[in-house]
Formats: sequence, structure tokens, C-alpha cells
Amino acid sequence: MFEKNKLSSPIAEFNGVSFRYGHGSEILKDIQLTLDPGSFHFMTGESGAGKTSLLGLFYMNHLPTRGRVRLFGKAVDTLSRAEKAQIRRQIGVVFQDYRLLNHLNAFDNVALPLRIAGVKETEIKRHVSELLAWVGLEKQLKAFPPELSGGEKQRIAIARAVINRPQLLVADEPTGNVDDAMAKRLLYLFLELNKLGTTIVIATHNQNLIKHFRFDQLHLSHGRLERINPNIRNNGQ
Amino acid sequence: MAKSSDIPFARDSSSFFISWISMLMVFIATLILATALITHDSVKNWHKDIAGSLTVQIPSYDSDGKKRGELLQSDTETALTIIRSADGVLGATVLSDAQMDSLMAPWLGEHITTTELPLPKLIDVTIDTKNLPDLNQIKADLSEQVPMAILDSHRIALSKLITLAQNIIRLVGIVLILILISLAFSIMFVTKSGLKVHRKVISLIHMMGASDFYITRQFANRSFYLTLIGGIIGFLIALPVMMFFAYYLNNLTGSFILNATLTHEQWGILTCIPVLTATLSYLTAFKTVWGDLKRSL
Repeated sequence: MFEKNKLSSPIAEFNGVSFRYGHGSEILKDIQLTLDPGSFHFMTGESGAGKTSLLGLFYMNHLPTRGRVRLFGKAVDTLSRAEKAQIRRQIGVVFQDYRLLNHLNAFDNVALPLRIAGVKETEIKRHVSELLAWVGLEKQLKAFPPELSGGEKQRIAIARAVINRPQLLVADEPTGNVDDAMAKRLLYLFLELNKLGTTIVIATHNQNLIKHFRFDQLHLSHGRLERINPNIRNNGQ
Repeated sequence: MAKSSDIPFARDSSSFFISWISMLMVFIATLILATALITHDSVKNWHKDIAGSLTVQIPSYDSDGKKRGELLQSDTETALTIIRSADGVLGATVLSDAQMDSLMAPWLGEHITTTELPLPKLIDVTIDTKNLPDLNQIKADLSEQVPMAILDSHRIALSKLITLAQNIIRLVGIVLILILISLAFSIMFVTKSGLKVHRKVISLIHMMGASDFYITRQFANRSFYLTLIGGIIGFLIALPVMMFFAYYLNNLTGSFILNATLTHEQWGILTCIPVLTATLSYLTAFKTVWGDLKRSL
């Protein structure tokens, strides 16, 4: 389904990164982190620990209030708007609330990143149909999000995030609304992407998945990042 | 599988305001531009009428029927001085007896001399067509110093009509500019409203790596399409109204003062209005969205 990605420099580097919303207290404190190409991470932590905020820094939803974030070797605070768009096209995001476009059917929702990237419609038709079949939604191509269950929406959101074979995939609770069997099936999709070179960060509370797949863990507690697995270089700890 | 717009414009009722406003604007613009074009043509015709030469008459007999003799001569010279000194007059000459005989020959025959007839002295005035003289001023000066001199009143009326028509054309130009400015402002406000309504979707598309141009183009295309549809409807509604007024004007004046008939070129200009307003709409929406996105993350 996918071709292998080839990158050698770190996908993401966080150097002394802190973040707060407005004038509130710091949610993330002095984060030191390097993600190597092709690595796979679970992000864990209690609700409100800052997982979603940290994921947001990966896809430039917001900028750090202190410190520096580098993505694909480039400091995000120095990027032009065109460069930001180009980098974002290399990042797939699964949002916790899916963020599907209700006026587009399942096919068009999944096709959106490809259309943004300017892929030909014949290619889009082939890839999208194939991927939707893989996540078990081949009969829901023309269904609109309000007509779908939570689990179906989640699978569409995942398909949309992976359709353009991103270099980095960040997913916020991507298996929160599916049963364990489907959760494992989706994780195997992420795993297939990872084997092809995509760096993956998945925020989850699902201990079954964490135990089953035994990947590196980035644990957030009181705004600080804790290194659980030695495969991740956590420079600050 | 058909591709829908990424931004849910169909759910944004304010977008349809663009069609309504452009329909109204194009309707008004078509009518007033047609008026201006017809007036412009008429002005050209009136220019031809008063162009070239003009004749001033100095009667050779007074109101009691007495021959004016030397007074006629002095009046003629005074009139010549007044006319020649006016701006826009290239020359003025008194018609000789031979020229008068030649002029009257078709009616009186070759062997009769006009000196025996009570004919007025005629002054032939050559006018600069690019710089028309103020005929009212010439008439006023002649009335003061040569009260019996007669200036062609039809030409004076046409001269006034030309001035009026030229002012109407200028006014139409100003109104057209105001219409375009109003349309641009309407589109700008509707587009800004659309940006607020679709902020979350725009943010999501940005997160997926959409460039500013990708998003801006969708707003601009939508604006162009709605303005074009509204403009075409406005233009089509204006057609029967124009035909009615053309019929009414042609019947009223018998095409003597105004010939309310448009040429092919003028129809071509009018049909450009919906396209031009749609282009203006595209550019306005593009600039509005582009400027707004530059301020986002």
C-alpha cells in the first residue's frame, strides 16, 4: 500500500520547550526530545497532562512560549508560510474529536490531503478506495460523517491522516471509539506505515495496546516529559 | 466521484447575498452605461451638426422697411470683429455679391442680381471642431453691439445640449465607479463574514498542509461564480427595460434628438459588465482572504 520513506536527520527536536495558553500557567515545562526517523512512540499521561498540547506542537497548531522546536531539521519559528504548508503536508494528524468535514462524504474526507497536495484524481480514486476498504469502510464511501458511528468516523479520520504517507504521524486517542479487535487492526496499519519509515506518536490511555505492542513511551506528568524507554533520547533527563 | 468544495459554502447563507447585490449592481450599471453610450453617440452627431461653418445674418432693411445703407456696412464690420475675436472661430468672411448670386441662382435664375433684392448680409463663420466656440457669448456680444444680427438659434440649442450631455456622461462615469466601489465593499464584508463562519474548517485544511493560495482560491472562485450568476441575471433583466426605453425615446423624438439604438460594439461593451464585475469580485475576495490568512498561524 505504501512505499518506503528515507530520512536520516531527526524528524522532531524539542529543545527546552515550554508552552502555556495565554497568560495561564505552563502546561508543558522544559521539554527535551528528539524523534528519530522510523521510531514509534506511545504518549501517555493522565487527562490534562498536556498530551494534546504537546501533539499540537508537532503539527504547528501553536508555537512554544519558550524554547525551540525543529521539524525535519528546520526551526518552526523561522519558517515562512509556504514552508509551514510544505512541512504540514509531511505530517498526518488524527484528532481526538476526528474533525471530519460534515459536508464531504467519507471518500472526499479521506481524499482531502491528496487534493491539497495536488495529486491526480485517478490516483486519488485508487488510493482512497483501497485504504477505505482496508479500514473496513468500502461500503461507506458516499456516507457523510453525521450518518456514521463514532468508530467509523475514527477510522475515516485515521485513513485521512495516513493517506498521503506522512513522514510523521501524530494521533490523539486514535482507538478511543473502537473495540479491541479494531484497535489492534488500526495499530497494525500504523505499524505497516512505521515499517516503511514513518515516525509515529500515538497518545493513548489504552494499556492493552501499550502492553501488546511494547513501543517506547513518552510519559507526561505535571507538564514534564519522562523517558520510559531507552530507544528515545530524552536529552533533558 | 464528484469533488465538493473543501469549505462548506453551501451552508453559508451570506454568500448568496453576493448574487443579489451583483444582480442589482449589474442591472443599474447596464442601464446607465447604455444611457451613456447612446448619449455619447448623440453628442458625436450633434458635433457634426454644429461643426464646420456657421452663418450670421445682418438685415439690410430696418423694421420700418427702410434701407440701412452705411449702417449696414458698419454693423457688418462690428459683427466681423466680434466673431473673429471669439475663441474657437477660425475665420469669418462676408459673402460677396457674386457668392450671393450663385447661392440664389437655383431659385431666381442666372440673370438676376441679388443687389436689387432686400437680402441680408451673410457672414460665413468657420468653426474649430476641436474647440467649439461659446455661441451664447457670441450671441450676447452681437446683441449688445449689433442688435439686428441674427445667429442660428438651432446651433445654440445644440451647443447647450452637448454641454448637458457631456456632463451626463461624466456623471454616469462617477456613478459607475461608485457602483463598483459599493460592490467591492459588499464582497469584502461578505468574504470576511465567510472567513469567520468557516474559521475551523480553514484551520483544519491549513493543518493538512493547504497553502494560503489553495484556500484563497476557493473563496475567490466562489465569489466569481456567484457574482457572475447574479450579474448575468441582472443583465438579462436590464434588457427588456432598455428595449422599452429605446422604443419610448425613439417614438418621442423620432430619432431626431436621440437615436436610442446601440451598435454591435456597444452591445459588446454592455455584455462585458457581468464578466468585469465577476472579475472585480474575484480580485476583492482574493485580496481579502489573502490578507486575513497572512495574520493567522
